[in-house]
Amino acid sequence: MIRCLIYIDPSETESSLDLIEAARQLHGDAFEVTGVLCSALDQTLPNVFDRLMLVAYPANGCIDPAQVADTMQALHWKDKFQSILIPATPFGRMLAPRLAMLLGTGLVADITKIRRTDEGVVVIRPAYSGSLMACIRFIGDGPMMMSVRPNVFRDMVKEERTMRIETLQPRTNGVGIEQIEVRPKQSSYDIRESEVLVSGGGGIAKSFAKIERLAELLGGKAAASRKLVDAGVAPRSIQVGQSGKTVNPELYIALGINGAIQHIEGIKGAKHIISVNINKDAPLTSLSDIVVEGDADRFLDQLIRRIQQHKSE
Amino acid sequence: MKLICLVKFVPDVGSAKYDFERHTLIRDSAHLQLNPDDVCAVAFALRIKARHPETIVEAVTMASAKVTPNMEDLLRVGVDRGVILSDPAFAGSDTFATTRVLGRYLSRQDFSVLLTGTHSIDGDTSHIPAQLGASLHLLQMSGIQKIDETLFEQNIARFDVESEQEITTYQTQLPCILSLTRESGYKLPYASRTNLEKDFSAQIQVVTNQELGFLPEEVGLTGSKTRVIETYVKRLEQREQRTVRADEAGVDYVFRFLADKGFI
Ligand SMILES: Cc1cc2nc3c(=O)[nH]c(=O)nc-3n(C[C@H](O)[C@H](O)[C@H](O)COP(=O)(O)OP(=O)(O)OC[C@H]3O[C@@H](n4cnc5c(N)ncnc54)[C@H](O)[C@@H]3O)c2cc1C
Ligand SMILES: Nc1ncnc2c1ncn2[C@@H]1O[C@H](COP(=O)(O)O)[C@@H](O)[C@H]1O
Repeated sequence: MIRCLIYIDPSETESSLDLIEAARQLHGDAFEVTGVLCSALDQTLPNVFDRLMLVAYPANGCIDPAQVADTMQALHWKDKFQSILIPATPFGRMLAPRLAMLLGTGLVADITKIRRTDEGVVVIRPAYSGSLMACIRFIGDGPMMMSVRPNVFRDMVKEERTMRIETLQPRTNGVGIEQIEVRPKQSSYDIRESEVLVSGGGGIAKSFAKIERLAELLGGKAAASRKLVDAGVAPRSIQVGQSGKTVNPELYIALGINGAIQHIEGIKGAKHIISVNINKDAPLTSLSDIVVEGDADRFLDQLIRRIQQHKSE
Repeated sequence: MKLICLVKFVPDVGSAKYDFERHTLIRDSAHLQLNPDDVCAVAFALRIKARHPETIVEAVTMASAKVTPNMEDLLRVGVDRGVILSDPAFAGSDTFATTRVLGRYLSRQDFSVLLTGTHSIDGDTSHIPAQLGASLHLLQMSGIQKIDETLFEQNIARFDVESEQEITTYQTQLPCILSLTRESGYKLPYASRTNLEKDFSAQIQVVTNQELGFLPEEVGLTGSKTRVIETYVKRLEQREQRTVRADEAGVDYVFRFLADKGFI
């Protein structure tokens, strides 16, 4: 039987479960999947794994990737997995390379696609800040390891499995890192959860407040291209694209965004796209349902007024 | 105290040319710059040196010897020593093979801390620092925005990592691997006028495989565990679309579209 191991990141449970879909694309329909969880969750996981390993860490979870890597290494020695999939979260990105090194195996970063060919598996990932896609093959005896971008392999209906739950002792005590303090950041929201995103780029740097206003009127959230984030106009947490987030909203309104391939990479899953640009041939316009040719600031004023008028009618 | 900074000189991604036949970047066509995250790692090391002049800062890169002028620029702003791990045998290394080479050199050095970037803007895997953590048995943390300079002098690393919702402060003992992000905002000092003219070549050491002693199959393309077999530039799918102007009629069209689809 083909065996696959998936690390469940407690901060991104949904995206971690989506890796089962990635495993299916990797192995076909017949495979056995084990999930590893190192922290208590405030929700119960659905029965989507064949086996769920609960690692007995202290209640607040594990903060040292080295500990988790050691434990997963021991698990692999015992069970010999064909593939190990880890979500590309901040923790996952520290864990995956460590584990790959311990296992002496290849790791492909941040994959967005899997292709099965006659000569074996090819995985695809963006490189050069997303301007290029690279097809990569694994060399050697494996296991095949990859970190997977959250929100890319979305799987609505997951196959129900008879899930055995086992507990596992952590293998090391780690090297000693302490968490001193956690301070929440003010006003943060996750743009991936919003059905409507109103997003601004270099062409609208001065009118970001209006973007927020329109987003609010449409029951959505404001987002931004890298240009605005680098310019300090918008926080990094709302950046869309290769170095930001992959989003799948119902509606994406792009104001003054040129649409570098890095940005487009992050919005391919959007159902409807409206782009406003003085240049009607900007790259993003080719993806749009509606292209509004003209000044984005003026357009914002007019559309906001039109919607307000409608709401007061 | 000796601080080693791992640095990578990367093409300015916007202007680089890519050889699609050979799946490599035509590096000569691109202006090389110090990877943005690494700028912050070196800048932090130099801050420590400014407080404690006896500190030795060494910058290490695995690269073609062509990066020598870039390395010299780092010496001009205050780095004490530059090391370039360079050998034809290393060419084509994936992150596994790169880590092997860097790891062997580093395992023979005495240092208080390894400072690195979190990710490079070209390969952009974020693998190297964490893989080195495994091979050197050191704690490694990515995404660091701030390091406490006063505690650092007592061999304590206390640092902030910023995530989506929160800022977390961690503490650990040196030695360890600390990977900074460009959001930390640490900036390199300017070179002094005398340094601008000085010849720094004596402070740069090129280390070849003669010294590191790998078998050919352990490193380079043959020692790699992943291989890039093809690259392509993404094409966009065309949607059925309509172009309007940003005037009253255009705004009305958009308004009706939004209303029809239930967004208003
Ligand atoms: C298109 C493409 C895709 C690739 N995909 C993969 C892949 O999925 N998996 C894989 O294993 N390899 C991959 N590689 C190979 C990989 O990019 C190289 O091994 C690369 O030189 C090192 O990784 P990085 O640039 O991703 O560095 P990162 O790990 O992103 O760099 C993080 C930090 O490590 C330090 N560092 C990185 N490289 C060096 C160096 N040479 N010398 C000193 N310090 C350094 C720096 O401090 C840097 O800030 C790919 C290469 C290409 C061209
Ligand atoms: N006033 C404006 N209204 C709408 N689009 C604009 C305006 N000014 C510039 N742009 C566009 O905004 C984009 C800026 O792109 P970038 O530099 O990638 O952020 C380009 O596509 C410009 O054509």
